[in-house]
Amino acid sequence: MTKFLVSRRTLLSASAALLASTALPRLAFGQDAVKGGRLIVAADSEPRNLNPAIVASNGVFFISSKVIEPLAEASFDGENGLAPRLATAWEGSADGLSATFTLREGVTWHDGKPFTSDDVAFSALQVWKPLQNLGRLVFANLESVDTPDPLTAIFRFSKPTPFQLIRNALPATTSVLPKHLYDGTDIAANPANAQLVGTGPFKFTEYKPGEYYLLSRNETYWGEGEPNLDEILYRVLPDRAAAASALEAEEIQLAAFSAVPLADLDRISKVDGIEVISKGYEGLTYQLVVEINHRTEQLANLKVRQAIAHAIDKKFVVDTIFLGYAKPATGIVPQNAPEFYDASVPQYDFDVDKANALLDEAGYARSADGTRFTLRLLPAPYFNETTQFGAYLRQALAVVGIDAQIANNDSAAHQQAVYTDHAFDIAVAPPVFRGDPAISTAILVRTATAEGVPFSNQGGYSNPAIDKIIDDALVTVDEKARTELYNQFQQAVAEDLPLINVAEWGFITVARTSVHNVSNNPRWAVSNWADTWIDG
Amino acid sequence: MSLIARFSRSPEGLFGAAVLAVLIAVALAAPLLFPRDPLSIVGPALTAPFTDWALPLGTDRLGRNVLAELAHGSRASLLVGFAATLAAILIGASVGTIAGFAGGLVDEVLMRVVDAFQTVPGFLLALAFVSVIGASLPVVVLAIALGAWTGPARLARAEVLSLRERDYVAAARVIGMHPAEIAFREILPNALAPVLALSAVIVAGAILTEAALSFLGLGDPNIVTWGSMIAEGRAVLRSSPFLSIIPGLALVVTVLGVYLFGEGLSEALSRRQVRL
Repeated sequence: MTKFLVSRRTLLSASAALLASTALPRLAFGQDAVKGGRLIVAADSEPRNLNPAIVASNGVFFISSKVIEPLAEASFDGENGLAPRLATAWEGSADGLSATFTLREGVTWHDGKPFTSDDVAFSALQVWKPLQNLGRLVFANLESVDTPDPLTAIFRFSKPTPFQLIRNALPATTSVLPKHLYDGTDIAANPANAQLVGTGPFKFTEYKPGEYYLLSRNETYWGEGEPNLDEILYRVLPDRAAAASALEAEEIQLAAFSAVPLADLDRISKVDGIEVISKGYEGLTYQLVVEINHRTEQLANLKVRQAIAHAIDKKFVVDTIFLGYAKPATGIVPQNAPEFYDASVPQYDFDVDKANALLDEAGYARSADGTRFTLRLLPAPYFNETTQFGAYLRQALAVVGIDAQIANNDSAAHQQAVYTDHAFDIAVAPPVFRGDPAISTAILVRTATAEGVPFSNQGGYSNPAIDKIIDDALVTVDEKARTELYNQFQQAVAEDLPLINVAEWGFITVARTSVHNVSNNPRWAVSNWADTWIDG
Repeated sequence: MSLIARFSRSPEGLFGAAVLAVLIAVALAAPLLFPRDPLSIVGPALTAPFTDWALPLGTDRLGRNVLAELAHGSRASLLVGFAATLAAILIGASVGTIAGFAGGLVDEVLMRVVDAFQTVPGFLLALAFVSVIGASLPVVVLAIALGAWTGPARLARAEVLSLRERDYVAAARVIGMHPAEIAFREILPNALAPVLALSAVIVAGAILTEAALSFLGLGDPNIVTWGSMIAEGRAVLRSSPFLSIIPGLALVVTVLGVYLFGEGLSEALSRRQVRL
């Protein structure tokens, strides 16, 4: 009898829940954020080191940006494209030797300790500058950080550092770490790199290798009423085909970074309750680039590089490989960086005859079997599109008499071959443009200073004129003069072709329509998701 | 009755032989029928089969002729299948004969090596081998042979064990033949028949292993194989399933043909033994 009572009670509560769930979507119609709920997201990789202050990459940010916050985040409508996070105001001095940040009041770490300017000073000097892949460049001349009071941090530089650069780098490079957990330890091996502690809207709760990451609501978050969600669960789904069917089966509610293959988008966009969103990646433009090893005799010849550029049909690449979800590139700076973009650089149109003529001029006549010379082609394995472009490039070059032999490697072997051993002639790479050419773009063509750094110039290219422009721009404080230098930079790169830019693309998010406030900033997938909510 | 006559009495064997003959003809004629690189881009991407008679089986995601890829792919499949089997039989039969004929410690050592290889699944062995050395056709052949030679080795050893006590072997000893000569010229040819019957199974297995390796991206990316075609079509499985189904069917037909041929062959061979 008691058993029956219990089950009746369960039944009652279950039907009440059912009633509530039908009522909620009607509330949602008024766009009032619903509190609570769990958002389940597809994760396609499991980074070993989750610390965004050390590894500033999108795979890490995707998870860690909800836990550890930067000083400012990118924004569609904010001043200079920024919205405040841990800093509420920022200002650079006229001489470029200092930058002052006013920090947010009343912020606490997930372990209850207060957030102060000491944390910012520690992160900048001990982590961003010496350890971070991007910070090493941006904060190269950072000398000290003054902390006159707990809410002010003044960065002091040994050489003039353009504030435009610092500002553009804020979202990606300034993740603040808790000094009290890292000070005096081996930062790179600190256990907090896996069990993150931050100030963000979500706390790092659990990681089960091969299964999921679980983040849960930070009750003491500084944002009023935020976050909306109770939990974010990242389900590890390395198989891309699985993400599409998991979305259809409502096992997951969101797949970012084109986890659903482009070829599936047309079909899935017609499924009820699923939305395909191409917004929200404006601050993370990926560039499809042909890297060139200038140590190879043929490729050291400008005419050969020009011929390769003429042999590539960018329209075909955009339409057939990216299915229209990309734009043909015009140069080393992408079009959605209007601050710097220069459309007037020399263009290399698809022209097989011209490519053949250039190769003849360069002195590489066709042999009896129609080939001029053989090259090793290494397509980066990171994306479906990079390997597919590799297959296309082999065919495009065969048409002009260059036999490009493809070698497929896994990520580790590819990086070893291209960036350490230089055992390639041409490679396909997808570098990222992060809002300012100085952050991760100039390094693609500047004379290399260190070997083995992925996504840097490892092709042996060295052009003192380009190096000078890059170095000058690094210490030019005046924004106009600096932009002018980067226009010269784009011209010089387009003329000398140290690498060939083919296309530029942002990713695609596929989400259930029950998820709201998706893609509402230019780095949405790697922002904090404090305002995201789902129908109950 | 000759072997051929006995073989022709098995219908499945004849069917298998017909399939194999067609495949070999296609493989040999592929460069004549489709002189261009089968991976070259010849038309609009994702043309459906039977819509354009210049491209009867349609095109893949980059606009490559699926029929040309299929014909050229048969070359890789058959080449790898036969070469790997040849290597496996050569290694296996030699090791088995030496082990069976020498006996004693040599037998023990060689058979433990065989055991060691048999405990590792052949596909994993091939996978590890190719990913360490790098993908190219000879490496793939060797990798597959590495997992397939133990079957022939055990079979050859068992045959040799029964044959070495025969009178003609004793006679060969008496006239002073070198033991190696006895093993390889007198015994091995007689022990080879059942081992050869096994070869069809090995060819079928090798073709499947090669397809699986290239499906995983461990084949030579500069040539077309059926496995890489299936992998390539997998990204558009929901919208253009024909890209995976066509090479998949080719694979099924080939493996079935080889297997049936082998069945017919071993039947014909065993009939002979009954009559002996």
